[in-house]
Amino acid sequence: MSLWSRIGNVFQADKVNREIEEEFEAHIAEAIAQGRDPEEARRAFGSALRQREMSHAIRVLGWLENFLQDSAYGVRSMLRSPALTMVALLSLALGIGANTAIFSLLDAVMLRSLPVKDPAQLVLLGTGTASGKTDDFARTELYSYPFYRQLREKNQVFSDTAAMCSMTNAVHGFVEGRTDSEPMNVKLVSGTYFTTLGVRAWKGRTLNDADDNSEGDHPVAVISYAWWKRSLARDPNVLNRELKLGNMIYNIVGVAPPEFFGTKVGEAPDMWIPLSMIKEVPPNFGGYRDNFSESLFILARLKPGVSSTQATSNVNLLFRQILLGFPDAELSQENRRELDKAQVPLTPMATGLSSLRRQFSEPLQILMAVVALVLLIACANIANLLLARSTARARELAVRQALGARRTRLIRQLLTESLILALFGGALGVAFASAGNRLLLRMISGGPETIPLNVSIDLRLLAFALAVTVATAILFGTIPAFRSTRLELTNTLKAGRGPQDTLRKNRLARVLIVSQVSLSLVLMVGAGLFLRSLVNLDKIDTGFNRENVLRLEIDSSSAGYKPGEPRAIALDQEIEERVSALPSVRAASFSAFTFHEGSWGSNVVVPGTNIGQSVDVKHNVVGDGYFATMQIPLLRGRSFSPSDTSTSQRVAIISEHLAKVLFPLGNPLGRHYGLGDDKPENDVIVVGIAKNVKFGELAEDPVNLDYFPYTQRPWDFGDFEVRYTGAYAPIAAAVQQTIHSIDRNLPISKVTTLDEQVARTLTNQRLVAQLCTFFGVLSGFLSCIGIYGLMSYVVSRRTNEIGIRMALGAARFTVGWLVIRETLWLAVVGIAIGIPIALGGSRLVSDMLYGFRGADPASLAAVVMLLLLVALFAGYFPARRASKVDPMVALRYE
Amino acid sequence: MARTKTDSLQGSLDLLVLKILSRRPRQHGYAIMAAIAGMSDDVLRAEEGSLYPALYRMEEAGWIRAEWIKNETGRRARVYELTAAGKKQLGAEESRWQAISAAINRVLREA
Repeated sequence: MSLWSRIGNVFQADKVNREIEEEFEAHIAEAIAQGRDPEEARRAFGSALRQREMSHAIRVLGWLENFLQDSAYGVRSMLRSPALTMVALLSLALGIGANTAIFSLLDAVMLRSLPVKDPAQLVLLGTGTASGKTDDFARTELYSYPFYRQLREKNQVFSDTAAMCSMTNAVHGFVEGRTDSEPMNVKLVSGTYFTTLGVRAWKGRTLNDADDNSEGDHPVAVISYAWWKRSLARDPNVLNRELKLGNMIYNIVGVAPPEFFGTKVGEAPDMWIPLSMIKEVPPNFGGYRDNFSESLFILARLKPGVSSTQATSNVNLLFRQILLGFPDAELSQENRRELDKAQVPLTPMATGLSSLRRQFSEPLQILMAVVALVLLIACANIANLLLARSTARARELAVRQALGARRTRLIRQLLTESLILALFGGALGVAFASAGNRLLLRMISGGPETIPLNVSIDLRLLAFALAVTVATAILFGTIPAFRSTRLELTNTLKAGRGPQDTLRKNRLARVLIVSQVSLSLVLMVGAGLFLRSLVNLDKIDTGFNRENVLRLEIDSSSAGYKPGEPRAIALDQEIEERVSALPSVRAASFSAFTFHEGSWGSNVVVPGTNIGQSVDVKHNVVGDGYFATMQIPLLRGRSFSPSDTSTSQRVAIISEHLAKVLFPLGNPLGRHYGLGDDKPENDVIVVGIAKNVKFGELAEDPVNLDYFPYTQRPWDFGDFEVRYTGAYAPIAAAVQQTIHSIDRNLPISKVTTLDEQVARTLTNQRLVAQLCTFFGVLSGFLSCIGIYGLMSYVVSRRTNEIGIRMALGAARFTVGWLVIRETLWLAVVGIAIGIPIALGGSRLVSDMLYGFRGADPASLAAVVMLLLLVALFAGYFPARRASKVDPMVALRYE
Repeated sequence: MARTKTDSLQGSLDLLVLKILSRRPRQHGYAIMAAIAGMSDDVLRAEEGSLYPALYRMEEAGWIRAEWIKNETGRRARVYELTAAGKKQLGAEESRWQAISAAINRVLREA
C-alpha cells in the first residue's frame, strides 16, 4: 500500500505540498488559539521550507520523482538545440534500427525454433541438405516409403516418426467451383506428420495414420492458414470445400494453425496431402510401394529420457537391418561396401530445415558486424556532441555543485538525459526496423516472389532493441557525465576557462573522432571489396548467351499430359514450332534445366573401361533448338534434329569437359557410353560436343554435363526458353497467347528472363554489397558531422585566442589553415589506425570474395582519398568562420 | 526541573504516539503533541520538527491513517487514528520497551 501511494504521490506533488502546508498552518493556528506566541509557534517549526521538504520526501517515492524531473529537464534542453538533437536522434535511430532489422532476419533464418510442441526433441535422419529422388543403395539423406514404415514399426527410441517428401509439388490445381487453375504448393507427408510435430488443427482435423495406410484412396488435404486466407478468403465453410489436383478431387479436412508453416524455414506449403496419394498428385512422383524409390525425409520425436547417441545407434542398426531385409536389394560388393561405410547422422530439428540458412548465414553474420560498427560510430558521434554541450553547461553544473548538489546526483541527471535520448532514438529505430525488415526480405528474395519468412517484430526483438538502446545510452552517456562533473569549482566559476580543462576535453573528443574515422575506413573498404566481388561475379562468362532469352514454365502434367506419352511429345514439338514461327523469335526450345535449377545426376559407364563409374554426370533433357536458343556453340558434331526420334538410335551431346574425362584419347564423336549402367536401353552414342557452360552456380568449376533429346528420354516438368529480339513485354504476351491457343488448359508460371534468373543467384552477394555500401556511406556522413561538430566547437572556444593572433598580425589564411591542419591531422591518424584493421578484416572475409584475395592498393588509396576529402569538407566551414573572426569582437569575447 | 532532552524520545516517539492514539482516537498533530507533554508532566516533549515526520512515516507504514475533518471552530484539521496493523505494532513496541527497560534496570541494580 505504502509503495503505491508513494508512487501516486509523485504525480500529485502539488497536492501533497498543499496538504502539508495546510496541516502546518492548522497546527500553528491551534497553538495560537491555545495561547502561545505566534512568532514562537512558527519558529518552533524550524525552517518551513526544510520541514516541508522532509515531509514531502517521506510521502513521495524519491528516485521516481527525481527521474521524472530529470527527464522533463532533459527533454526541454533537447528541444532547445533542435539541430543537434535531430542529428543525434537520426544517427541513433539508424544505428539501433539497422541492428534490430538485421538481427530479426538472423533470428528468423537461423535462431527461431519451429512453432511446434517441444521442438528440441525433434530430430531428422541425415543432414537435410539433399533433396530429390534417387535409387542409390545406402543413401543416408533420402528414404523410401516402405523404409519409413519399417523404421516406424521397429525402432525403440522414438515416440513418433513421420516422413515428408523432400520436394514440394508445384501444382496448378482447381478449387472446386472455379474455372481457372491456380498455382498451389503441395507438400506430401505421412499421416503421422502433424502428430509427431504436436500440431493441432485450427479447424477440422489434421492428417492421421489411417490416411496413409493404403495407396491412392485417401484424397484429403489439410490447408495452411495463410492459403485459407489468401485463396478462400477465410471461408467458414472450408471443411466442405474440395480441390481438384490432376485427376482427383480432394476433400479439405482441416486448417493448420496460423503460426505453422511447415518444417522448412523460407518455404510455406499451401497444403499437406498424405503420402498415400504420391502417385496422383502432379507431377506424379510415385514410389509408394518401391523399396528403393528414395525421396523422403524422415523426422522423429525422441522418447523422453532417450539421448541422441542412443537414438543414433538404434537407427543405424535398423538402417542396415531394413536395407538388407528388402527382397530386391542389390547386394553387390560395391553396395555392401557403401553400406558398411554409411553412417546415418541425427540432426536436431529444433530450428527446422533451411536452405536459406546455408546461403545466408555468413552474409548475415558479416552484416551483423557491420551494423554493430555503425552503431559504435553513431555512439561516438553522440558522445562528442554531448561533451561539447556539457562544456557549455559547465558553469551551471559548477554553481549547482557549489550550492551543495552531490556529484552522484548530477551524474544521475546527465545519465537520465542520455537515457531519454537513447529511448527516443530506440523507439524511432524500432519503427525504422520494421520498415527495414520488409525491405530486407525483398532484397533477399531476389526474384518476383517474396520468401515466406516471418520477420515481424516480436517480444524477443523488442527486448533486443531495448538492450541495445540501454547499452548505447550507457556507452555515450557515461564518459561525458563523469567528465563534466569532475570540476574545479573556482576555475569554472571564474570568467573564462582554465586552459587545463579545454585540453583534457579536447583529447577525449579527438580520440572519439579518430576512432570514428578509422571505423568508417574499415566499413568503406569492406563495401569496396564486396562491390568488386559482385562485379567480378557478374562478369563471369556463363558459356551461354544470357541476354534476350524469355523463360517460363509450363506444367503440362497438371493438364493431364503424362511424360513420355506421344501426345506430350507432340505437344512440346508443336509449341516449339509455333513459337519459333513468331516474328522477333529467333529460336525456342524446351529443356529440363537452364541454370541453377537443380540437376539430375548419375554416373556413367564407358564400355571397356571403368572411367565413368565414380564420375557424377549432370544430365539435361532438351529440345532440338536448345543450343540455338541458348547460343551454346557446338565445337564438333551436330545438334539434335528431327531424325532423333523415340525409335532411332539413342544419342547424346556431351560437354567439352566431359569429353576430356570420358574419352581422353581420340575423337569422342561416335563413341558409346551407358547412362548409369551398361544395359542396352541406357546406351547412347555421342553425336556432338558442346562448349562448357555454367550449370548450377556462376563460380563453379567446369561441370560434367551431357544432353539428351526429349523425344528419347521422357521428362515431366520443364522450362521453355525463347530467344527473341526487340522488347520483352510484347514477346512475353505473344508467346503465352500462342501456347494457350494450342491448349487453353496449360498452366504457365514463372515468366521471366534468363538474365534475371542468373542474376538471382547473386542475391546474397548483392545484398551484402548493397548494404555495406549504404552503411559505408552512412558512416562517412556521420564522421563528417562529427568532425564538423568538433571543429566548430574548437573554433568557438578558441575565438579569444584567434582574435589575439590576428591582432598580432596573423593573416586570415593562416588562421583558417590552423583549423584545416588540425582536421587533416585527425583524419590521417584515423586512417592510419584504420588501415591495418581493414586489411585484417578483409582477410577474414576473403572466402566470400570472388576473383581476388584481399584489398588492393588502388581501392585502398581510393577510400583514403575519399575520407580525406570528407574531412576537408567538414573542416572547411569552421575554418572559414575562424578566418572571418573580427579581432575586436573576439578580444571581448568570453 | 531539568528538562529531559527530547533526544531521549528518539526510539520511543512512535510508541508514545501509537499509545496515545489507542487511548484517544482521532487527534490532530497539535493535540498529540500536547498530550505527550501533558501526560508526562512536561518531562517529555515532542518538537514539531520531529513529530510530523514521524507521523508521516507511520502513515506510510500503514500503522495510522489520516483524514481531513472540520473541527468545532469550523476550520479544517487532519486527524489521525490507529489502524489494525498499528494496534499490532503497538503491542510489539510495548513489549520491546518493557524488555529494554527491565534489562537496564537489572544492570543498574547489579552494577
